[in-house]
Amino acid sequence: MNAPFFKFGLFGDDVSLIVAFVIGIGFGFFLERAGFGSARKLCAQFYFTDLAVFKVMFTAIITAMVGLFWLSWAGLVDLSLVYVSPTYLIPQTVGGLILGAGFVIGGYCPGTSCVAAATGKLDGFVYLGGIIVGIVVFGEVFPLLSGFYDSTAMGQITIPEYFGISYGIVVFLVVLVAIGGFAGGSWVEKKFAAKAKEAQS
Amino acid sequence: MKFSLSSLTLNQKLAIVVGVLGFLAVFAGSPYRGFTSKIDSQELASIVEKEIDHISPEELAGWIIAGNVDYRLVDLRKEKDFAEYHIPTAENILLPTLGDGQLERGEKIILYSVGGIHSAQAWFLLKANGYKGVYILRGGLEEWKDKVLFPRLADNASPQEVAAFEKSKLVSQFFGGTPQIGGTAVAATPTMALPKLEAPSGTQPKISGPKKKKEGC
Amino acid sequence: MAASEKAVVLDEVRAQSKARVAREAQPYWNPYVAGLGLGLVLLAAFVVIGRGLGASGAFSSLVAATVQTVVPAHATSNSFYAEYLGDGTKSPLKDWLVFEVLGAIAGGFISGILAGRVKKGVEKGPRISVGGRFGFAFVGGIIMGFGAKLARGCTSGQALTGGALLGLGSWAFMLAVFGGAYALAYFMRRQWT
Repeated sequence: MNAPFFKFGLFGDDVSLIVAFVIGIGFGFFLERAGFGSARKLCAQFYFTDLAVFKVMFTAIITAMVGLFWLSWAGLVDLSLVYVSPTYLIPQTVGGLILGAGFVIGGYCPGTSCVAAATGKLDGFVYLGGIIVGIVVFGEVFPLLSGFYDSTAMGQITIPEYFGISYGIVVFLVVLVAIGGFAGGSWVEKKFAAKAKEAQS
Repeated sequence: MKFSLSSLTLNQKLAIVVGVLGFLAVFAGSPYRGFTSKIDSQELASIVEKEIDHISPEELAGWIIAGNVDYRLVDLRKEKDFAEYHIPTAENILLPTLGDGQLERGEKIILYSVGGIHSAQAWFLLKANGYKGVYILRGGLEEWKDKVLFPRLADNASPQEVAAFEKSKLVSQFFGGTPQIGGTAVAATPTMALPKLEAPSGTQPKISGPKKKKEGC
Repeated sequence: MAASEKAVVLDEVRAQSKARVAREAQPYWNPYVAGLGLGLVLLAAFVVIGRGLGASGAFSSLVAATVQTVVPAHATSNSFYAEYLGDGTKSPLKDWLVFEVLGAIAGGFISGILAGRVKKGVEKGPRISVGGRFGFAFVGGIIMGFGAKLARGCTSGQALTGGALLGLGSWAFMLAVFGGAYALAYFMRRQWT
């Protein structure tokens, strides 16, 4: 099988845009199903009362990761043709910290804010406006930042490559971390939910 | 301890499935299998026979003059030779580095070398690796010189040939060549000077390809 | 019917329809099932297109396209915007991520309609006002937009996609996001708890 289909020229750019739309529908659909159109549910993650963000995100990661691993192993997909975004270690870490702060302050991330706006949440719309402004700010100060922005470029590198561990072992470790996190998370949720009930009574 | 499969919750079942799949991954080896080339010898043989994947120098000249950007012209020769002269809009990619990712499988790729041997070999390599639109410049650089840069009009040419030669003259001059008129038809001698590369070169695509595709997120 | 009786009936009708709406809003799915669905969508993107999901890039394209329309010279001279404008042969909005985000809006709406969760409202905790919530949402959005561009992605693109592909920088990013969010959670507790 010649997959990724697009990379083997099975269809052109215009069809790929239609595919993008369809995949997007699935994306938004499951985000809303999980309740991620609600800033309260999302931010409950950071108060330990509802760890759905962790559960959904990591379940999605291990599903796609394990699926891709086996499909590629079976020769059905050419893993080397799937685009891995290049690593720029320091800017990504700093950007991540900033993004995390923005998440708990604003209540959403770009993807979930679309879902929130789609389901009528006014704060979602306001948040989207903020994102636009944030991007403009970034664009305007970009000339000053471009050195930092391009620093610590490591190319398209994966964890197995960097640490010299086999891909399969890393896959297994990530699955273990995820399942462990799910089990531990349920325990944490119960504890904090009990605490919250205590505080109310 | 009595343990029945049906007493597991959905979450536990999911966890077991993914846990097993993850565990087995440890023993599976590398997932980077790459493309398993299924070479259909009959299909390839028939393509070679029918010369479907050949492009004449005149055709290519037409595309360059028209300013098409929908193809990648690949010069397989050594860098020295490429620097001395290459067909305008060509990129220098050597055989060993063909599979490195500079070329995309969905692109129209035209290969040329001095004659036809290296380009034929490269054609086979790319086709076996799933590249769809691979073509060979018929006759390579030799025929390009012969037909495009230094086209000949024999003394005893028919009126139609004379008329057709007008176009060849213009094409040749576009590429900085010298049309030869008169005398018995003689092949281009090796001493014939190749045009310098300041000749109008049409659009020069960047090495990364004429379209810049952003794949970020 | 006397005016007072009408009022009573109207109140009754209002209460009933409110209850109906409240009952219609279905509970969210099991997070693991939702995550499985999300993961399969991501896997489909890998298999069909050879790339993953994303969101912030679509907004960058939108900003770049707008800047280009309003102040074209500035857009091409600024290397950040220019990156999203491509080689000028087609609109920056004819971009994979833009269409994907449009789909996400549609998908979120469809799911919301099916679950009875499409309703005008404001998501906020009990201790903050709507105005305060809007203020934080706007500021948070600005910060998030800036951070997403610096990190070359957001949680959908870098964390989810890059995480599944075991990208080194993506995992560093993911940990940093959780770190940054938890670090500021204490200061935001009035907004959410």
